[in-house]
Amino acid sequence: MKVFPEDLLYSREHIWVRVDGDMATLGITDYAQESLGEILSIEFPEIDNYVERDEAFGSIESTKAVVDLISCLSGTIVSVNEDINDDIGIINSDPHDTGWLVVIEMDDMEQLDDLLDAAGYHDFIMSQETD
Amino acid sequence: MRWRVLDYRTNNAFENMAVDEAIYSETIRNQSPPTLRFYGWRPTAVSIGYFQDPENEINFQQCRISGVDVVRRLTGGKAVYHGDEVTYSLVAGHSEKIFPDRISETYEIISLCLARGLSYLGISACLAPVVKGLTAKEPDLLSCCFSMPSGNELLSDGRKICGSAQTRTRGGFLQHGALLMTFDPSLSASLILVSPTLEQSAKLRSSVAAVNELLPAPVSAETLCDVLKKGFIEELGIDLECGTLTPSERKLSTRLVEKYKSDAWLWKRENRSSVK
Repeated sequence: MKVFPEDLLYSREHIWVRVDGDMATLGITDYAQESLGEILSIEFPEIDNYVERDEAFGSIESTKAVVDLISCLSGTIVSVNEDINDDIGIINSDPHDTGWLVVIEMDDMEQLDDLLDAAGYHDFIMSQETD
Repeated sequence: MRWRVLDYRTNNAFENMAVDEAIYSETIRNQSPPTLRFYGWRPTAVSIGYFQDPENEINFQQCRISGVDVVRRLTGGKAVYHGDEVTYSLVAGHSEKIFPDRISETYEIISLCLARGLSYLGISACLAPVVKGLTAKEPDLLSCCFSMPSGNELLSDGRKICGSAQTRTRGGFLQHGALLMTFDPSLSASLILVSPTLEQSAKLRSSVAAVNELLPAPVSAETLCDVLKKGFIEELGIDLECGTLTPSERKLSTRLVEKYKSDAWLWKRENRSSVK
């Protein structure tokens, strides 16, 4: 059963976003972690790196595939989830909360307008699966 | 749908990886068609997965002593010794609707193509079941790709006959994989395992199937590629047109060779976390 928390925004690249002022926390969605399978490794960006919207901010390896993590926002990386160093399994087990990946200080809040709400993301997933 | 095929040829490890990345980069920019490529490795080489550590996950010293190149792949997965083998690579953009978004389904489709191709040599191959978690038969062989079939990889008589790995980004994916023509478990173990034992070589032997060891008479790499092409054409319903690299791909791959040769790429140490 797929989970789509109502308080998050979503990208079509399967990244969720939680907004707090001009800070955005990003992680992979439950749908993404389920599609990827067991996550084995992650490559984080450096703190203070600038990421562009639609560019990779890191990569993640599941059993047999390396997948780019595509940012849906432009801004500066201010934090990465150090807890993942101790237990990478939290990305699979709790993707929308303790398995968050990075915090970005946004420099263009209008980019949030292009993201989907929970219902929109649900519809997007359904359309992908019926293609 | 018209696809391009780049016929079998041998190159060194750095050229092989550079060409795959050049095709991948151009395809996700919609500048190249979906492409199937076949190649071999001369000199022989060990490739490691994108996240692997050459110091601790292969026998780097032994590779150096043996004159075996070591290259980091763009794709995930574990280490492979590329000796007597055929490697395939397949690159497709997201506009290529044959392949779904899900990684395991892409593996499944490509494995079915390979299995159909192998069937023309009389080799029966089936897909490994998709199970959660690592499926290594032996924990001490974990760094070796051929020790552990992932879901939807190909098995023949319960042994892994093709080891594949994938990378994907916005716009497309690259999957490549190795089909061994013959297999020398002692040599592979000595290059990949840090402290190889006879027992580990024996375990590796029982995990791996090589094409020419399954056949009454050996076939050439070119013959294998011909039947694999047939498998892709029939399974995907595509036309394969013999082609060459585009000028942009050629230019890019020349530049990328230097990346793949560099210590900075091989000993890449970034902000990484992995399952311990």
